[in-house]
Amino acid sequence: MIYAEHLRKEFKKVVKEPGLKGSFKALFKPKKEIVVAAEDISFHVPKGEILGFIGPNGAGKSTVIKMLTGILTPTSGECRINGKIPQNDRKNYVKEIGAVFGQRTQLWWDLPLQETYLVLKEIYEVDDASFKKRMDFLNEILELEKFIKSPVRTLSLGQRMRADIAASMLHSPKVLFLDEPTIGLDVVVKDNIRQAIMRINKEEKTTVILTTHDISDIELLCDRIVMIDKGKNVYDGSLHELRENYGQTRELVFETDKSSKLTKEQFRKGLNPNENDLVIENEKNNFKVRFNSNKIPVAEMLSYALSVTKVKDISVKDADIEEIIRNLYRQGEALNE
Amino acid sequence: MNKIMKRYVPFMKAGVQSLIIYRLNFMGFVIGGLIYCFVMFYLWRAVFESNGGGIFLGFSMTDMVVYLFLSNTTTQLIFSDVSNEIGEEIRDGSISMRLLRPVNTDLSYMFGELGTALMKLVVLLIPVILGLEIYRFYVTGTIVFNPLNFLLYLFSAVLAYIISFRVNLCFGFIAFYVKNLWGIGILKNSVIGFLSGSLIPIAFMPEGLRICLEYLPFASMSYTPVMIYMGKYGAYEVLFRIAIQIIWAILLYGLSKLIWFGAIKKLCIQGG
Repeated sequence: MIYAEHLRKEFKKVVKEPGLKGSFKALFKPKKEIVVAAEDISFHVPKGEILGFIGPNGAGKSTVIKMLTGILTPTSGECRINGKIPQNDRKNYVKEIGAVFGQRTQLWWDLPLQETYLVLKEIYEVDDASFKKRMDFLNEILELEKFIKSPVRTLSLGQRMRADIAASMLHSPKVLFLDEPTIGLDVVVKDNIRQAIMRINKEEKTTVILTTHDISDIELLCDRIVMIDKGKNVYDGSLHELRENYGQTRELVFETDKSSKLTKEQFRKGLNPNENDLVIENEKNNFKVRFNSNKIPVAEMLSYALSVTKVKDISVKDADIEEIIRNLYRQGEALNE
Repeated sequence: MNKIMKRYVPFMKAGVQSLIIYRLNFMGFVIGGLIYCFVMFYLWRAVFESNGGGIFLGFSMTDMVVYLFLSNTTTQLIFSDVSNEIGEEIRDGSISMRLLRPVNTDLSYMFGELGTALMKLVVLLIPVILGLEIYRFYVTGTIVFNPLNFLLYLFSAVLAYIISFRVNLCFGFIAFYVKNLWGIGILKNSVIGFLSGSLIPIAFMPEGLRICLEYLPFASMSYTPVMIYMGKYGAYEVLFRIAIQIIWAILLYGLSKLIWFGAIKKLCIQGG
């Protein structure tokens, strides 16, 4: 379905030295620098899969999505979607795909939302019956009725994002590219959007590529993840595996009584962890305990901590993606040395 | 053809709707243009009077009035903002949303503007022509209006629009390379203003310059249709001028396509 082979994208950038003097210099003798947004990225996605495409900010996710959607031309490498090379015949290719870029909108800014959908209906040549069926379906999961008559510029972020998701699904695309579709949204809207993605994937076998920083998006939606960093692939596999291998770090935060404390000493007595498997930071009465959950099970850690000190409050933090990537990198560097 | 219309007419409708929402802006644009015409009118009247009235370089004062108002109106009518629009879309990266649609990029820009052009035809051109003909009737005592010339004018103005659109499109694509068009945009507008004869009729220029300018695409953009309307060209010359317009339209179409294919590879989306 989707093949990306050694995608690479370079940009030329004018480097400006700081200050007024630098500006003048850049005006008359610009110093150009080549920025590599994506260095070497390859993966493939079978039909009907939801792929989580993740990585830290600036890793090159959006650049890759833009190459896959035919907006950018790769400097080298090739991508094929549905047997088509996006850049070769953009006009026909984009008929088969839908895309949402969380930071932009494809809706007509000044038109009532409904009009935008009518416009898209004509552009994508959707017939009346399918259009009606589709709108009913989208109305049902994304709850568009309340604001479908308002001009797009008056919509809230959550409304706009739902509207944008609906717009991308209107023409029953074979592939859906979602670049941070849940950015800045509240839980309810996030849930709406996830529902829409899940249902369209199940009912029509739509292939979805999703980038996000929200780990629950990935947990709920993605069959597989591809992780990139600094323009290169760093991981390709299931989330579960990734967690197993790299995401063992858990963090517990204990708020203790004023009189009690948590120290490494206490843990050493009872659990006897390795030096690297346990880190404790404290700020007044909040003790952050980071530990390797493969070595010390969470339940054990919890009950032990409760037994040695008076705890007022506890919170548990999952290893987030950034943390997992940091771990991946640390291991990679360690291997290189 | 029907299919094409169905697909692109929505862009036109969207253009008109935005225009209606920002109608004050549009009216300001129209009224500003008329005020400019009156300023030019008093300026030229002074020139004519200091010259002792009568015919000046083949133009009577009545001709001059028609020229001033019609040339300005035509310039507004065929005005294309596509270079600014592309520039803006490149600057903020929203061009990526346009590229995601299964439509021809040029045509989607063009239809987006056609709505505005139609509005201007109704609220600007028709009143101006009516006004001018009443004025001419008042001055000369006879009806000077020539329906054939008017139709030829409209045809020539459509060609003028296509040329203006293509010139601006080529110019807009420069934004793919320079990222921000604002400065050279101002340069472009003043150069076109001078070369297209909308500031000073090309007929008033020195012989050599005049011939050069008449063959450049800029004269095709407002000077040719206005001169046709005023009946300054004989039948043969009308055909010749329109032929020049068609040639420029084709050449600029080719050029804009060429630049586009080069530029699209250079595209980089700013900001996410």
